[in-house]
Amino acid sequence: MGAVLRSVAHNRKALAGLVIVAVIVALAIAAPWLTEYDPTRRVGRPHQPPSWDHWLGTTRIGQDVFARLLYGARTSLAVGFGAGLLITAVGTILGIVAGYRGGRTDEVISFFTNMVLVVPNLPLLLVLAAFIGQASPWVIALILGATSWAWGARVTRAETLSVKQKDFVKSAEMLGEPSWRIMLYEIFPNVISIVGINFVGSVIFAVITEATLEFLGLGDPKTVSWGMMLFNAQNASALQVGAWWDILSPCFALIALGAGLSLLNFAVDEIANPRLRTGNTLSRWSLLMRRGEGRL
Amino acid sequence: MAFLFRRLGFYLAAFLAAATVNFFLPRLMPGNPVEIMFSSAGSDLSADNLEALKLTFGFVEGPLWQQYLAYLHSVFTGDLGRSIKYFPLPVTELLGRALVWTVGLMGTATLISFTLGTVLGIMAAWRRGSTFDVVFSVGAIMATSMPAMVLSLVALFVFGFELNWFPTGYAADPALDPAFSWPYVSSVVRHGILPVLTLSVVLTGGFLVTMRNNMINLLGEDYIVMARAKGLSDRRVMFWYAARNALLPTVSSLAIAIGTVLGGSLVTEVVFNYPGLGNTLYQAILARDYPVIQGQLLIMTLAMLTANFIVDVSYVLLDPRLRRA
Repeated sequence: MGAVLRSVAHNRKALAGLVIVAVIVALAIAAPWLTEYDPTRRVGRPHQPPSWDHWLGTTRIGQDVFARLLYGARTSLAVGFGAGLLITAVGTILGIVAGYRGGRTDEVISFFTNMVLVVPNLPLLLVLAAFIGQASPWVIALILGATSWAWGARVTRAETLSVKQKDFVKSAEMLGEPSWRIMLYEIFPNVISIVGINFVGSVIFAVITEATLEFLGLGDPKTVSWGMMLFNAQNASALQVGAWWDILSPCFALIALGAGLSLLNFAVDEIANPRLRTGNTLSRWSLLMRRGEGRL
Repeated sequence: MAFLFRRLGFYLAAFLAAATVNFFLPRLMPGNPVEIMFSSAGSDLSADNLEALKLTFGFVEGPLWQQYLAYLHSVFTGDLGRSIKYFPLPVTELLGRALVWTVGLMGTATLISFTLGTVLGIMAAWRRGSTFDVVFSVGAIMATSMPAMVLSLVALFVFGFELNWFPTGYAADPALDPAFSWPYVSSVVRHGILPVLTLSVVLTGGFLVTMRNNMINLLGEDYIVMARAKGLSDRRVMFWYAARNALLPTVSSLAIAIGTVLGGSLVTEVVFNYPGLGNTLYQAILARDYPVIQGQLLIMTLAMLTANFIVDVSYVLLDPRLRRA
């Protein structure tokens, strides 16, 4: 763990990503102190441009965009991390069990994994959400967890297959350790890098997909979230009437969160796969080359 | 050959799974499934029409397995029921009309982004650690982490409304009659540029990162070192030794990417008010037109499975090891 933290601290991309995500989390937590407005109340005249009273203007029904943005961050973050955790947990458990147990168990799990992978995800989610009706953020997180674990299960299984061959697993088996213990204490710590990549990727996916489902009109209208802000602004023809603040504010919020998370993802990827790590070693090499000290 | 048959059997099972979801969902929801499915119709539907619709979706007298068989029968005979919003238009016809536009949009965007992403990925891997690599690979990862509608909305605002370079909706000028004539075709192209470009930006990143990582893993291989030791030109080593082999996993990632392409295309169409599947679906969701919502899952699954099968076939052609097995 210490080694991972140290590499995060040394990786500029990881640091930048961490700072962006941390700032968004801090803003979401501090929402009540940063704005005096209630995000669901009508607090001004409709579609007012940004001003001193309303930093990011107002929506068509006169709600404060800045207040909605801050409180909406809570929903996006909660669904992102909640669903991300769920997706990763299901994928990791299925992947390790399939990879370690092998045989019939593996065949059954792999069959379902591959099946879920070839059924297009968004259309499936649309059908599920449409029947549920106005899906609250928690329901969206749950159905994301139930349908989006396949990729994680597949890569975790592949990794488990190679770890399974290692001597320390063999010796644990010889000692007669129960298989759940081997999976939890021998295999899991050694596939943790894959689990990390899976987790950050799933959080990004969950944030995007929650916003998409809400934008397509499947969310609960009472929810304050970035996806619902986009849906309401699009329905109010915000761009057509020139109320760009209404639609661009949630856009840039999603861009910032996506950028922060993806920088983190990139860094975790580099930490897990040293071959992809090119920054430090190569820059040192090219420095030597420039000085004429190195030789090809 | 046996490999391809095995795949076909698997695809049949996957399609059956999608149909099963469609069958059980309304029956699992609290309340009367018939009412849930057709409630948005109100009193517009005559008793005869309602009977026909109920039959299509397997709401027949009898135990569950008989209902299931009745539903599968209609699905496999290509009867997906009728749209409730646009009654009596059959779902297959409504979606079929829209599909043409979506396939055009998706096809062009996939072609552009696959080519661009692969070439940029090869170059980024070759010069890994350089400014070029950092800018493009970090940029690519960021582009893939943005919801498609965000990029579309920003593009629509900047290029459609502020700069006024491109039209802000529809697939062609509504004043023109659809015909294979210069004014109509050029209008289609002009309306398509913005959606295709934003979709391409969203998709390029994924291909770039896959290709870059494959390439980097391959560049450490002995045969690459050997090629360089022989004194072959950089370009030759890059494209004929490394890229050729790195391309194979990229092709299989293309199959999985089709799902992303579909999703991205759905929301892009809604933003640009483009008359494809996405927009049709958006209208159906707002009107809770369940036959259409269910129908799109089957059609999309079929499209995805077809794409996967094409990839399987090309895999057999590209990888000699599979041909012998």
